[in-house]
Parts: sequence; C-alpha cells; structure tokens
Amino acid sequence: MMNRRGILKAVAAGSAIAALPVPTLAQSFPTVEEVLFDPAIPVIGNPDGDITVAEYFDYQCPFCKRGHKELMEIVRADGNVRLVMKDWPIFGAVSVHASSLVLASGESYEKALNALMATPGRLGKEEVDSVLSESGLDPSGLLAAFKSDQARIDGILARNMDQANAFGFGGTPAFIIGIRIYHGAMDRKALEAAIATARES
Amino acid sequence: MKKAALGILGMLVIQLFAPAVASSGEPLPVDRAFAISASQGAGGSLSVEWKIAEGYYLYRDRIAARVPKGAALTVETPPGLVKDDPNFGPSEIYYRRAEAVLSNAGSAPIELTYQGCQENGICYAPETRLVDPATLTVSDPVPLRPPPVVNWETEGVSASPVEPGIEQATGTEGFELAADAGLIQSLRVEGGPLLVLAMFPLFGLLLAFTPCVFPMYPILAGALAREGDRLTAGRGFILSAIYVTALALAFALLGAAAGWSGQNLQMVLQSPLTAGILAIVFVVLALSMFGLFELQLPAAWTSWVTTRTGGMGGSKRSAALLGFSSVLIVGPCVTAPLAGALLYIAQTGDVVLGAAALFGLGIGKGLPLIVLGTLGGSALPRAGAWMEGVKRVFGFGFLATAIWMATPLLPARLDLFLWAVLLIAAASFAFTVKWRSGTALATGRAVGGVALIYGAILMVGAASGATDPLKPLATLADRGPAVSGAKQLDFAEVESAPDLKAKLASANGKATLVYFTADWCVTCHTIERSVLRDDSVRRGLAGFQLIKADLTDFDQDNAALMTQLRVAGPPTMLFFDANAREAAGTRLVGDVTVGSLTRSASQLDGY
Repeated sequence: MMNRRGILKAVAAGSAIAALPVPTLAQSFPTVEEVLFDPAIPVIGNPDGDITVAEYFDYQCPFCKRGHKELMEIVRADGNVRLVMKDWPIFGAVSVHASSLVLASGESYEKALNALMATPGRLGKEEVDSVLSESGLDPSGLLAAFKSDQARIDGILARNMDQANAFGFGGTPAFIIGIRIYHGAMDRKALEAAIATARES
Repeated sequence: MKKAALGILGMLVIQLFAPAVASSGEPLPVDRAFAISASQGAGGSLSVEWKIAEGYYLYRDRIAARVPKGAALTVETPPGLVKDDPNFGPSEIYYRRAEAVLSNAGSAPIELTYQGCQENGICYAPETRLVDPATLTVSDPVPLRPPPVVNWETEGVSASPVEPGIEQATGTEGFELAADAGLIQSLRVEGGPLLVLAMFPLFGLLLAFTPCVFPMYPILAGALAREGDRLTAGRGFILSAIYVTALALAFALLGAAAGWSGQNLQMVLQSPLTAGILAIVFVVLALSMFGLFELQLPAAWTSWVTTRTGGMGGSKRSAALLGFSSVLIVGPCVTAPLAGALLYIAQTGDVVLGAAALFGLGIGKGLPLIVLGTLGGSALPRAGAWMEGVKRVFGFGFLATAIWMATPLLPARLDLFLWAVLLIAAASFAFTVKWRSGTALATGRAVGGVALIYGAILMVGAASGATDPLKPLATLADRGPAVSGAKQLDFAEVESAPDLKAKLASANGKATLVYFTADWCVTCHTIERSVLRDDSVRRGLAGFQLIKADLTDFDQDNAALMTQLRVAGPPTMLFFDANAREAAGTRLVGDVTVGSLTRSASQLDGY
C-alpha cells in the first residue's frame, strides 16, 4: 500500500508519466484510441485540440448536469480542448431514451445535449421530449432518426458501458482528462488544474 | 508580523488540503456508502435495510427486486424525502437509512437492485445483490472487473474505487487515509521547488518559539558568554550564524539519512542513551560555567579540525560543533514541515529537495537565535566579576536543561526533587552574590526569594508524591486531578496495525481519534498537560473513540503502524470517521492546540 502510494505520488509529480511498465493482460481493456477517439461520437470544442476531456455521464445524474455549463465554458475559453461526452445511461430506460435521441440529432447534437444537461434532476420520458421540443428540436423526428441509425448508437452505448466497467467506475460522472482518470464531479478549479496537468505531461 | 505570516500559512494550508475533486471528497466504495443487511420481518416477510453514509442518498424509485432472471417482486418502501431543491426532480430519496420490505419473499434467493448518489460527487451505477431469505445473507458485489493494465493513470493517491485492486485492498485493510498530497509535493505543484525552498525557512521561523527550540537559547547564550571581553555585535553575529548554519546542516543530513534509509529519526535521537549523554554534557557545561574547570576539547581533536578548517578560530569551531550537536535536541520534535519533508524523502527518494527543505527549516528556526546573538553580543556585560556572575546564571540554565533532558529517564518524583534542589541553589546564589546597585540587589533578592519558595514547595510536593512540577501540591489538595464537568479523556492503547483495525472496526458508529505519543516526546507532555485537559477539548472529543499509540517502547509493530498510517512521529493525531476513513485535512502533526484539536474534531461531528 505504502509503496503503491509512493509510486502514485511520483507519478503525480510528473516524474514517471506514462512510463509505468505495462503487463499484457486483459485483452479487452480499452485503449486511448477507443476511449478518446471513438469515431462514432461527435466531438465538441476543438476537434484538433491537444487535450481530450472525456466525460462518462447520464442525463439524470444531477451532479453531471450541475457542472456541465462550467465544463462547456472551460472548453470554449480554452480553445484547444476536445470534449467527448460518453453516454453511460445508468438510470434506466429514460436515460437510454435521452441518450439515443441526442446521439441521433446530427448537426443539432450540441444543442440537444446542452438542453437536456440544463435540466436539474431525474427525468421522465415525456420531460425529455418536451425539453427537446422546447429547444426547437423534433423528438419524434429524432426517434425516427435513431431507429434508422440504431446500430451505431447502440454500439456507442455498449462500448461506453464496457469501458466504464473496465475502468471500474462506480458511477457518473467520471472524467478522463489526457490519460488520467478522475472520479466524481469536478468544479472549475479542478477541471482547469486537470487540463493543465495533462498539458504538462 | 507573526500574525501575517500565520495568515499566509493558514491560507496555504487550506489550499493544500483542498481536495482536487469537488468539495465532497472521493466517493466511497458502494458498500460503505450504502451498507446493506437483511432481516426477518413480520409474517414471514423479508426486510432489507441500508445504512447510508453521511452525504449519500438512495433513490426510492430505484429500489427493485425480482426472482433471478425472472418476474419482478413487489417491494414496499416508506415515502422518501422530496426535496424542494429542484436538483432532485420528481423523485424521492432517503438519507441516513432506507428500508424495503418484501412481503411474499418465499425461500429462494432474490435479486435486489438499488441505486444512489454521493452528494455533489457521483451517482453510482445500479447495484445488484442476491438476498437469501432463508439465511439472510447478502451476496458480495458482482465479481470485480479485470484490473486496468493500460497506461491509464489513476488520480493522485486517492483510495477511491479507481482500481478494483485498491478498493479491495483498502476494504480489507481496515482503514483509509485521507488523500493529502503532502506538504512538499503540494508546494512543488503550486510553485515549484523554489516555493518549497522559500516556504520552509518561514515555517521554521514560525516554529522558532516552541518548547523544542528553547534549549538553544541558553546554549548559544552560554557559548557567547564564554567569549567574555572579545564579544562584540559583529562577533556575536558571526558565532550565532555559524551555530545556526551548523544546526541546519546537521538537520538536513540527519533528515536525509533518516528519510532515505527509512529509519526513524526521532527514535534514534530520543533514545535514553542520547538523552542521557546530552544531560551529562549539560552538567559538564554548567560546571565549567561555575568555573570548576576550563572546558577544552582534547588537543588531538582540535588540531585535527584546525588543520582542515584553515585555522578557524577556536570559538567558531566550538560554535559549529555546538550547533551540529544541538540537532539532537531539535531533531526529535516532530512538526508538520519536518514530517512532510521526511515523508517526502521516504516516498519519492528525492533526497536533495527534502534535505534542502530541512536545511531551510533549520535556518528559519535559528533566525531569532542569530538576532539574539547579535544583539546580545553588544548588550552582554564585559569583564570582571560581572562576567563571572553572568556565567553562573547560564550555568543554572544548563543544569535546568540537563534536568529537562533527563526527566524521561528518571523515576517520576526525582525530577521534581532535582528542580527543587536547583531552585534552592539558584536562590542561595542570588542571596550571596555582591550586587552592584540597590535595584539589582532588590531584583536579585526577589528572584532568589521566589526561587527559594517554589523550590521548597516542589520539595514538599516531591515528598508527598506529586509528579507534575507545575502542580506540586495537587496531591495535598486532595481533590482529584480535574474539577470540571466534562469527562476525563480515557485513551485505549493500541500497539500494532491489526490492533488499530480491530478498534476501528468495532467503533460502533463512533468517530475515532488516534493519538501518537511517547514519554520522550516533549511536545506531547505539553499537549497532555494543557490541551487534553481543556474543557472544550473534552467536550469536543466526548463522542469519540479515543486511541493512543505509545511509541515509548519502539518496536516493529508500532513501526509498521506508523508506516501504514504515514505518521512521521509523535505528536500526531489522526481522525477517522465511523467508516474508518481519515477525514481530509484533519490530521494534526506537531503543533496541537485547543483550537486546532477542536476544529479537527468538529469536522467529524456529523458522524
């Protein structure tokens, strides 16, 4: 334990970034490419940014949503961050419904995402639909779009869940910034510090 | 100035200990957040109960049960809390405790699902368990996933459920430490090595007026007094600067050696042997002050040193020697910066920065000494009978230091007796000396009189069985040690890590204070005499399980305990919540005051 902490501290100090010996175990373990560069998931922010922030989230998780506006502001202000929102519906059918519609919204992806992330807490299916239509989207059209694109979207959700399980995430939100894992909600300071840390390495 | 510096330090400490994540801290493993148990309900029903950790909640509508892979079962749950807070939307939640009743549970295992969140932290993925209505056992969490093996980094030193491996390790380990990055590490992150080097002298300065540093003053003053005529402000400055530099250097070397080798610095320095030798050295110094003999190092030593130091003056050499050996007195005093530096060296192997920080700490502690040396150099009287008088005063100072050093080695009442003898001797000195002026005579006699009376009282106290020099007549007053409404604090002793784990496991929902102390720890005596007897402290600690780890007899067991808890030495206080997790930012190292202790204790009040 002590040694492990010591090693982790050394890592945190930036002295041994990414140089840990990597045993070749579990073939199913996600790679950087799979986690941060899933081609099926739209990228927010600067697609060519030097740092990728990935957030495993659920549309009914209050703390994911509470920090979302701040996260978007940071991404915008930084200008060099790729943001990848990884849907991990852990609150059941309504969450799956919300994720499916947003991932099917094509050009309006960011708009749909932000609209649902602006809600405070738990949601019903009707609430999801009404929030989307209030922001000028057509829920039934999105549902149709989802049906015709279901393989891609189901694939995203399945891959995200597998990755979250492989990482051993307890729940949402969970962040990956650079190649570092963060559990739980992050405020502005923590996010900015994490991005800065990722840049240093 | 001191206030302002303290303010800066305070701000810094707050920043250092602010967790990287939002204020809620690392999420607990799900079984500690929601501890589940099953029991037999009325009329053959099955009742499931969750004890929910502070700051966590369960969703009522996310509790569900079914026959494994089969039909859903009816679950009865009481109404939950519907918070007006819009964050919680339409759903009901449970804080602290939740219960679910399955009226027709049957006898086959039931699959139970539940879900909750950590306030401001994470929402857990749904948790599914098998509950056996016959045996009332609840299955373990679903089998752990394969450990992460790619170069994904885990965050800091947290013991969060980042890696299943760690989660399990802490689960069986019995306690969890707060994720503090450590003093040097945090300073480094904040402002690089330069900030570390800038801050440590400041820490030292703040610690310069603590009991551990006090013996330095008579030592240095004595060394300067021996200069007699030759002493000027300039010379006083040079000598005290040499003394302090040597002290800081020895501090750095010892720290580097100790931290790097993993040996415990304090243990070595506070061994009875060291303390005994030091006490004897001080008696010898005192005798030389009384003019019994001229203190000279063996000629062979001095010539060896002279040839290698290019004929540095004898006084400078002895100042350096005195400084170097004074580390034996300062070194054992564990303070937060010292502990931070030692742990940093031990954990990162970065001896250079750690030792440099310790050097800075030593210099900071010595700055007031240099001021004293310089001012004293111009203020001390010169020549003649006067000088002799001043020397004797320092002689008494040295004898006092000797008694103080030897106290832990002596039988309990003997030190009281020695103090009495010393005071009476000092009194007779004050009465017999030829005072130059009327005022001096009056002052001298007054001091002498007080010394005589207190000496006599101490003598009576020693004879009547008292042990505390500050309360020599307590035994005669016969009213017990305390006269306050608050309860006396009773510490249970632990001697090893398994001991402590057992105590933490059986805390019964209480928070736990673990206090590392030792007979030889001077600061600990102060804490036990004043802080732990304070009424507000006793009230603040009333609901705590109190545990003491006594390091007086240092062995492998308590060495292992210290390593596991990341404790550098006594005095250190750790605060664990009812779930055996150390509360972040509550640990007290070295400087324990009524204020800091009650503050740390109050952070665990909710448990």
